Amino acid sequence: MPEKPKIVLFQCRWCLYAPADQEWVDSQLPENIHLTKTPCTGRINPLYLLNAVQGGADGVMISGCLPEQCHFKTGNIAARRQLDEFNDFLDYVGYDKQRVRFVWLDLQDRGIIQKQLAAFERELEALGPVSNLATRAKVAEGGQNA
Amino acid sequence: MPDLDAIRTEARRLLEEGLVEVVVAFKAGDTPLHPQPAFFRSADEVDELVYDGLCQNNLATYLTRLPKQAKVGMVVRGCENRSVNALVVERQKAREDLYLVGVPCEGILDWQTIVAEVGEAITSVTETGHDLMIETSAGYQLLERHNFLHDSCKRCIHPNPTSAEILIGDPIAEGDPSLPRSAVESFEARSIDERYAWFQKEAERCIRCYACRQACPMCYCEECFVDHIEPRWTESGATPAGMQGWHIVRAFHQTGRCTSCGACERACPMDIKMTYLTEKLNHDMREKYNFEAGLDAQSQPPFAAVTLDDKNRFKI
Repeated sequence: MPEKPKIVLFQCRWCLYAPADQEWVDSQLPENIHLTKTPCTGRINPLYLLNAVQGGADGVMISGCLPEQCHFKTGNIAARRQLDEFNDFLDYVGYDKQRVRFVWLDLQDRGIIQKQLAAFERELEALGPVSNLATRAKVAEGGQNA
Repeated sequence: MPDLDAIRTEARRLLEEGLVEVVVAFKAGDTPLHPQPAFFRSADEVDELVYDGLCQNNLATYLTRLPKQAKVGMVVRGCENRSVNALVVERQKAREDLYLVGVPCEGILDWQTIVAEVGEAITSVTETGHDLMIETSAGYQLLERHNFLHDSCKRCIHPNPTSAEILIGDPIAEGDPSLPRSAVESFEARSIDERYAWFQKEAERCIRCYACRQACPMCYCEECFVDHIEPRWTESGATPAGMQGWHIVRAFHQTGRCTSCGACERACPMDIKMTYLTEKLNHDMREKYNFEAGLDAQSQPPFAAVTLDDKNRFKI
């Protein structure tokens, strides 16, 4: 049984998941998914994405609020502009565009996050483990703690 | 070539009349191939001012290093004028504190290709229209100027300064916008592994000297992300991940701000190609937001000018 793809999930803490979904994300995420909560998708610096990628993530999922529903008015729109471009740019230098996925959700979208994660995981399995872009040395091997 | 005497006369006038405290331009360097940036503070120093195709630096870099209130005169080419505009947009300098002496630019010469062609022992370089007269210890050699331009200058779209107070010399023809586009598209046409192989090959030569950062007018942060200790954003040593991280993020921080002057690439001691990265970002900004950095001194770059209007432009 090959290892499951490593996924980093960035979640905006205001994104209005249905309570059951939020409960699942907070306490029952599978081990191959690493959750990072941010105050807004606009807070996701492209460097976070780079850190995830260089930390060896096979895929990165970013979940934020729908347009016009941002707690900070335009945080998610700013994030879309910037992260979308960063994703294009990573693709340009060799990190497959399909490995970064955006989902924009609100309260009505019950159960969507689980479905999206499962679909994303299947796609990543089909793509195989990531090989492009060098990863950081592990701390145990003398690397710096990021 | 623009009339050097006219540039000197203007610079002298600015200093004599007290319109500016300092004129930033070039003076002759240690070798004929390397004029160096110079700061002229009195009118009698201005005789040393030179301007030719071998002036490599982007002088706008010094705007953020001079005292913020200083009145500055500057000899600018097209790309430097755009850099100045972009810095004014970012409020790094007040436009009224600046006096720009514009010179239409026929492209910066790549001294390394000249050395590769005629050898090291060059005693003088004279530009006459489309030709270069190179004097070496062995005699004279005539070269065609356009064959020795720097890569980013071959792709230049706007060679003329657009907002200079005075323009010295006649404006020259605008460049072809398809040139930067085709450069990006031909790179994108390669497979993803070929693109990565190229990127890896270029990035792995990096010695992390940050000359590209120092040469760039838009890299003016007090503390760069690579100098942060806590949190450490990317490895700061010359490791594969550190070198790649630096090249990716350095370029990405220029999105919507880069004016394609190519000073980063000219500054690199390891000959690392890096304008192909910023060209891609500039290309995307043109395609997606119809934006080019520095064309005027008002427009905010796309990442700053966010409105709810583009709520439908990304697929969910």
